[in-house]
Amino acid sequence: MSVICVDKLTRDYGGGKGVFDLSFRVEEGEVFGFLGPNGAGKTTTIRHLMGFIRPKSGSCTIGGVDCFAGRSEIQRNLGYIPGEISFFDDMTGTEFLAFLAGYRKLGKDHRAGEMLERFELDPKGKIRKMSKGMKQKLGIVAAFMHDPQILILDEPTSGLDPLMQSRFVELVEQEKRRGKTLLLSSHMFEEVERTCDRVGIIRQGKLVDVDSVEALRARHVRTYRVTLDSEQTAQAFARDFGGTCDGRTVTLRARQRLEDIFMHYYGGDGK
Amino acid sequence: MINATLYRREMKGSVKLLLILAAVITLYVSVIIGMYEPEMMATLDSFYAVMPELMASVGMRAGATSLIGFMISYLYGFILLIFPMLFCILRGNGLIAKYVDNGSMATLVAAPVRRSTIAFTQMSVLLSGIVLLVAYSTALELALAMTGFPGELAAGELLTLNAGLLCLHLFIGGICFLSSCLFSETRTSLAFGAGIPALMYVLQMLANAAEDAKAARYFSLFTLFDANGLVAGESRALLGMFALLLGAVALYAAAIAIFSKKDLHL
Repeated sequence: MSVICVDKLTRDYGGGKGVFDLSFRVEEGEVFGFLGPNGAGKTTTIRHLMGFIRPKSGSCTIGGVDCFAGRSEIQRNLGYIPGEISFFDDMTGTEFLAFLAGYRKLGKDHRAGEMLERFELDPKGKIRKMSKGMKQKLGIVAAFMHDPQILILDEPTSGLDPLMQSRFVELVEQEKRRGKTLLLSSHMFEEVERTCDRVGIIRQGKLVDVDSVEALRARHVRTYRVTLDSEQTAQAFARDFGGTCDGRTVTLRARQRLEDIFMHYYGGDGK
Repeated sequence: MINATLYRREMKGSVKLLLILAAVITLYVSVIIGMYEPEMMATLDSFYAVMPELMASVGMRAGATSLIGFMISYLYGFILLIFPMLFCILRGNGLIAKYVDNGSMATLVAAPVRRSTIAFTQMSVLLSGIVLLVAYSTALELALAMTGFPGELAAGELLTLNAGLLCLHLFIGGICFLSSCLFSETRTSLAFGAGIPALMYVLQMLANAAEDAKAARYFSLFTLFDANGLVAGESRALLGMFALLLGAVALYAAAIAIFSKKDLHL
């Protein structure tokens, strides 16, 4: 069953900005990656899904409910990380989480404590004084604390260090195993590759391709096998170039940058 | 209809401003009521003789003989208009437009809380502040008049007068709140939310100061608050008060409806 349905969604901001005739579906229990460069229309699509703005034409539904008309109903079971975190600056992180628990009427039964531990976040300080990464962690905690069935995450790892990015990937995997449906936007292929089942590639407001991660990987990631003179050299080589070492043989994967993938779709018109 | 957690947070956000304004009002009201003396009246009347336009523009007239007439002349032309109005402007903008502008509104709308509930809660915070300020002014005036000049002030007259003042400020708050719901940028919200009441106050000042500018009063909502008429129990003044109240209800209803339907580019 499709949880998130976007059907011929169009919103023209003028000057080529916006989304045009966008259609895709996210199935229940699936992690869907929404991949595209800055300004491609990822956030615009998410604004529609969140019920912040009304579609000019086309429709989008979550669980069969219209995203604009039924937004407060949908929000009961939805977690959201905004692309640009902006919380109440005057509060401390602790106050903010307590505020959210009260505002959403969660009572004491929520996962904020567990999430804080997972991301090693001390929420005692004022949000205004927090670094970008700390605010991002607080955003993750806020999105997951009410244990929602559906998660819409707009560039969720921006500002996180690699260790915390891995923790986040683990969290996504765990939630997926628990049957959650996730839509995750990103402009980094690696991030999407590590977490998603299927990927939709958006460019200039149009969906260019929707495919499984394996298919995309097969198309865009080439693998090389190199045999070296000695095991020691092979190990050093593997370490330096991020490959895996097996005896004297090192396997390397060439990662393509997103621009290169777009080059593929537009035959050199990668602007 | 109202989200208690949000209401508590926003009332906490009003406290500092309310305290500052209450302190300023306390200072002025106690100084002015303390000045009520027959000899002092003569001095003020002599000011009026020297610069009638300036005194009249801020609502001060010569020959205010009763204590309430004196208070109307020296408190209800400037101090009790401007300071609660300042609250309406600052909080009116801060409760909706500021959050939309800086993006933190996303936190409020990304939750199972209706937009109408959010707007209604924020409106309640604004109304609570206005009611608190007017109620405090009333209590202060009563207490000062009763201790300083026992028997000089009819409580009923003061209550009618301040009911009119409350309606005026509810209406001004309505303008600020509508502007806050209508515009997505603090700049525009403030331009209209502060600009319209300020312009109307200036028109009122003009109309008071110069005979030739009397027509200006028809463009100012402050005209609907007729302090002397309310104390005298004139039906025209009471009608003006109810017009302000009805206008306020319409403004808040429009603001909530607009906020519930608008696109939020958060």
